[in-house]
Amino acid sequence: MTAIKFDQVSKQYTKGKKLLKEALIEVARFKRAEQFWALKDISLAVEPGEVVGVLGPNGSGKSTLLKLIAGVTEPTTGLVTVKGRIAPLIELGAGFHAELTGRENIYINGSILGLKIKEIDRRLKEIIDFAELVEFIDTPIKHYSSGMYMRLGFSVAIHVDPDILLIDEILAVGDAPFQAKCLRAMNQFKNQEKTMVIVSHASDLLESFCTRGLVIWQGSLAFSGPMTEALKEYRRLLTEQYGNHFNHGYHSHPE
Amino acid sequence: MIFGFIPLVNQWGELIQQLTQREIKARYKQSILGYAWVVLAPLLKLTTLSIVFKYFFKINTGEIPYSLFLFTALVPWTYTANAVSAATSSLIANAALITKIKMPRVIFPISAILVKLVDLGLSTAVLLALMLTMGQPIYWTIIWLPLIFLVQMVMTLGVSLILSALNVFYRDVENLLEVFLMIWMYLSPVIYPPEYVPETWRMVYNLNPMVGIINAYRNTLLYGVAPPWESFGYAILVTAGVFIIGWRYFQKRQAVFADVI
Ligand SMILES: Nc1ncnc2c1ncn2[C@@H]1O[C@H](COP(=O)(O)OP(=O)(O)OP(=O)(O)O)[C@@H](O)[C@H]1O
Ligand SMILES: [Mg+2]
Repeated sequence: MTAIKFDQVSKQYTKGKKLLKEALIEVARFKRAEQFWALKDISLAVEPGEVVGVLGPNGSGKSTLLKLIAGVTEPTTGLVTVKGRIAPLIELGAGFHAELTGRENIYINGSILGLKIKEIDRRLKEIIDFAELVEFIDTPIKHYSSGMYMRLGFSVAIHVDPDILLIDEILAVGDAPFQAKCLRAMNQFKNQEKTMVIVSHASDLLESFCTRGLVIWQGSLAFSGPMTEALKEYRRLLTEQYGNHFNHGYHSHPE
Repeated sequence: MIFGFIPLVNQWGELIQQLTQREIKARYKQSILGYAWVVLAPLLKLTTLSIVFKYFFKINTGEIPYSLFLFTALVPWTYTANAVSAATSSLIANAALITKIKMPRVIFPISAILVKLVDLGLSTAVLLALMLTMGQPIYWTIIWLPLIFLVQMVMTLGVSLILSALNVFYRDVENLLEVFLMIWMYLSPVIYPPEYVPETWRMVYNLNPMVGIINAYRNTLLYGVAPPWESFGYAILVTAGVFIIGWRYFQKRQAVFADVI
């Protein structure tokens, strides 16, 4: 049974936000909003228990890929199928209501993910303890630092008993001890045969942790295979694009 | 479409309940005065409007004291206006959740509308107190209230769905809202009796569902007669139309909320 399946998925975005008056002017001039493809014709299948690392330059479409998996956005064409409970997408500015306290946000997140209030009651202490936010749990989220946001987001995501965990370039915000804690939690996940998709520019982390690598290049899936191969392919593409000087210091051991 | 509601409530009822309770608690925590205002603000409005329109404009409401006549309309109108206004900004206010977790987005406008029920409850209590002190009899026609209220809720939700979805795409909707609500209020018989509207315009005027709803409240609460079908019937039809359009539009657009919000 496949955990995540993409069938010729493409995603188109419309550039720029609008005001009603601008839209009316556009209509009056028969102009159409500018559109572009953030992802083009992606097909892939991820089996339960796989830990997938996603590589790609800024703006290549990695976050868009995770949003499609999370189901917060829909593909313009193609089909995304996901089996199992998905934790809230963990990325900077996690899925919290800024005016609410940490505790209230835990409950709201839990209910959105289909937990009953009683189940959340039971997990509450663990979530707070893991995030090390006992003192701040009744403070509105808007007063949290970005590290605290991330701690709570990560803690909620791993404690709602998800089948699929999506992590978007977030570990960088945590301090070293918390990063280590996150890695331990992720390792546990790995051992429980749960599916993870991790976007990160930290190639060491991906190399040591992931069973499979994807390279997204200008919205297309340029490579899918073993993580070490994926990193090689990614470096090759970077060199091709930017020349060799770019890669200085990127390889720890130049071949 | 109606069938969409049953799984919605089954699966998401607890979340709607939580979001709603949370807002209510937050208001209460901020200040006891937060709720005192809910009672005081309409009373102040009521006093001012009563003086202006009764003594300066000499609006004639026959047997019924003007202040009662006004308040029976002001209470439901204020509910719809506040609910629509809260619902319109509800999606933007919850952008952080909408972009991170998959869920039906109607939850947010629905919960915004439910939150305002507390205010409605309080101002209704004031209305009842006012009726009793002014010696207004309570008629058996009060049994019509649930139906009238249902129509009002569905209408409010329909308008809220349209405006909240539009507001995601065009942020100036929120700014235009104030003007929209002001126009809507003057085109509804809140401060004047509907008979003041010239006969020739009555047909068009009745297309505003708030007209039938307010007339129905006044009929059943103040005059002891059934809702006036020529305007309330219209209100039901228009409400059904507004709701269907609102629900469809919202469902169609919600797929891209996370992209543009
Ligand atoms: N909601 C949106 N509306 C319009 N364009 C968008 C939207 N989200 C992303 N894009 C565009 O889609 C492209 C891919 O964005 P995405 O966020 O997926 O990149 P990324 O690979 O995650 O980059 P980074 O490494 O910087 O996080 C970018 O050009 C971005 O500007
Ligand atoms: Mg990104």
